[in-house]
Amino acid sequence: MSSEKKGRARSDRPPIELKKERDAFLQNFFRKGAQLTSEVLEENRRLRKKIAEIEADNARLRAHVASDDAIRELLKKIEGLETEKQELLSRFLEAEEASSRAVDQYAEIEGELANLANLYVASAQLHASLDLRTTVQRIKELLNQLVGARSFAIYLASDDQRSIEAVAAEAVPVSHRSFAPREDGVLAEVLATGVARIEKGELGDGSFENPLAVVPLTIEGKTFGLIVVFATLPHKTRFLPVDFELFHLLGGQAGKALISAKLFADAEKRMPDLSGLVEAGI
Amino acid sequence: MAERSCLIVEDSPMMRQLLVFALARVKNLRVTEADDGVDGLRKLASARYDIIITDINMPIMDGLKLVKRVRSDPAHKETPIVVITTEGSSEDRQRALDLGANAYITKPIQAPQVIATVKNLLKID
Repeated sequence: MSSEKKGRARSDRPPIELKKERDAFLQNFFRKGAQLTSEVLEENRRLRKKIAEIEADNARLRAHVASDDAIRELLKKIEGLETEKQELLSRFLEAEEASSRAVDQYAEIEGELANLANLYVASAQLHASLDLRTTVQRIKELLNQLVGARSFAIYLASDDQRSIEAVAAEAVPVSHRSFAPREDGVLAEVLATGVARIEKGELGDGSFENPLAVVPLTIEGKTFGLIVVFATLPHKTRFLPVDFELFHLLGGQAGKALISAKLFADAEKRMPDLSGLVEAGI
Repeated sequence: MAERSCLIVEDSPMMRQLLVFALARVKNLRVTEADDGVDGLRKLASARYDIIITDINMPIMDGLKLVKRVRSDPAHKETPIVVITTEGSSEDRQRALDLGANAYITKPIQAPQVIATVKNLLKID
């Protein structure tokens, strides 16, 4: 029995080689386990590091994308502002054009008002006096100071209209104060037709043969005289629209003013008896 | 805006009326008329004016004498003077400026020019 026990005990014990083998296996196992653990840990570290790098890259990329979005947003805003700027510029140009038109219109109206004032003053002054000398003086002033005439004359025609005589003249030689106009000349033509002849273009040096303006003095459709402008002041290089109006006014009103003044002078400046006006139904 | 006053010295009634019409467009400007230099001096003796407009060729006392007299009077020494001349009379114009006139207007007068000259001298916008 004891030998059995001994034998069993002996046989239970692993043989030395096997033990060595087992120990070596275990050692090898643990060593490999430790190595594997170490490798896993190393791999883990590496992977963590990689994750950290990826996360950093990710953050960078996110920031980049965010930055791109901001730039896109800014570009969109710039585009919007550009459109707004163009609209404002367009509106500014429109306003500027409107303002320029208003300034032009204002100047035009100012000019028209000045012309109307000239015509009103001329008309009022022509009829302001019944004194013959004063009336003639006013016509001369009008020609000189409103029209800018330098050499001119106011002629009365003979009944047959073959000769004319100046009642007033400025810078006109004696030879042209009383004479018979040439039958084919402009003076005879205006006397015959009663239609004014006024230079429309540049005013050159006028002459006694070719005056710059010839205006008929008419009353009740009959031409009884002429206003003739031979030359203008140096700076008067062309007749303006208002000058044509003034000539027209002179043709119609100067004649009436002269006749009225003459009749009043003939009546020795006595007021006529106006009582008959009522009976005449005027 | 305070009222301003202007004295027009001109023998021609037509020119006076034209000037009055033109100056009616300047706001708050009171205009007084004088027939010639003597009448102008009489009016200057009794009142102060902010500006004087005078013709050169006038009977009794011409515009040049008027300018000289006005400039020698301490009361009107600084009053702006505008002379009205004809295009050919550049000597008269220069003489008037030498005597102390501030500006000149050439006949035939243009209302916008008269208004602009007066506004400029009175410093009115």
